[in-house]
Amino acid sequence: MTGVWALLGAVAVVAVIGVVLRVQNGRIRTGRVGTDLPEPVRALLDPATPVTLVQISTTFCAPCRHTRALLEDLAGRTDGLRHVELDVTDRPEVAAGLGVLRTPTTLALDASGTELLRVGGVPERDALLAALRPHLPGPIG
Amino acid sequence: MSGDAPVDPRGPRFSAWITTAILAVVLLTGSWRLLAAQTVLFGMCAFISLKLNPWGHVYRFAVQPRISPTSEREEAAPLRFAQGVGFVFALMGTIGYATGLTALGVVATSGALVAALLNAALGLCLGCELFLLLRRHAPALARPR
Repeated sequence: MTGVWALLGAVAVVAVIGVVLRVQNGRIRTGRVGTDLPEPVRALLDPATPVTLVQISTTFCAPCRHTRALLEDLAGRTDGLRHVELDVTDRPEVAAGLGVLRTPTTLALDASGTELLRVGGVPERDALLAALRPHLPGPIG
Repeated sequence: MSGDAPVDPRGPRFSAWITTAILAVVLLTGSWRLLAAQTVLFGMCAFISLKLNPWGHVYRFAVQPRISPTSEREEAAPLRFAQGVGFVFALMGTIGYATGLTALGVVATSGALVAALLNAALGLCLGCELFLLLRRHAPALARPR
């Protein structure tokens, strides 16, 4: 009998996790302020580019690949926007320093390294572009 | 860890449904032998090669020819990591059922079932997305390979 309840419980847990992740996925949050950027992330910044999207990935992350394709394409079509990927599989301290627990997480950083926003999971293209618009120069493709 | 070639992502979803069914039967019957067999299967896929997964072969011969082809491919590393997570849960569950610690058996098997069903129904590998979290709290489980 215990097994039946455990089975029903497991199905309920899956349903809850599914709903939570669907709601959370792609949600744009405001960037963290007042924390020092870890050195490996700072090294990825380009002073000549207004916004750099730093995608935090691990080797074991399947949605990271979809996120990479989406962001590479977005950066390629948008003036003043770059995309770089940082694999932290063997450098968990970098992720810890950023407060990142889930991959992919994408940080939008300005040229000085200030975090503008961050997105957990696979971003939604239009919503991300709209949120970045105030920080980007000129027309957006 | 040898590298497996990327795979058709629908294959692992198919396998995950069968794994879900097996784990459900384990919960209903409390059979440690069936769970032990599933543990061996998880272990072979995680530590040797995904090619040892019999459901993958069933998929290739019985399912794939009947559905439209896809050019989408999924990397093998996340899949093998997921099998490793399943292995840990299933091993704890087997030990629980076999030694009479039924509560451990039920909890660990339920954990494995949640992971398998998330994968099957939603295409989601929780262990992969939360790898960083696992690594921080269970470094032995998520050792770099």
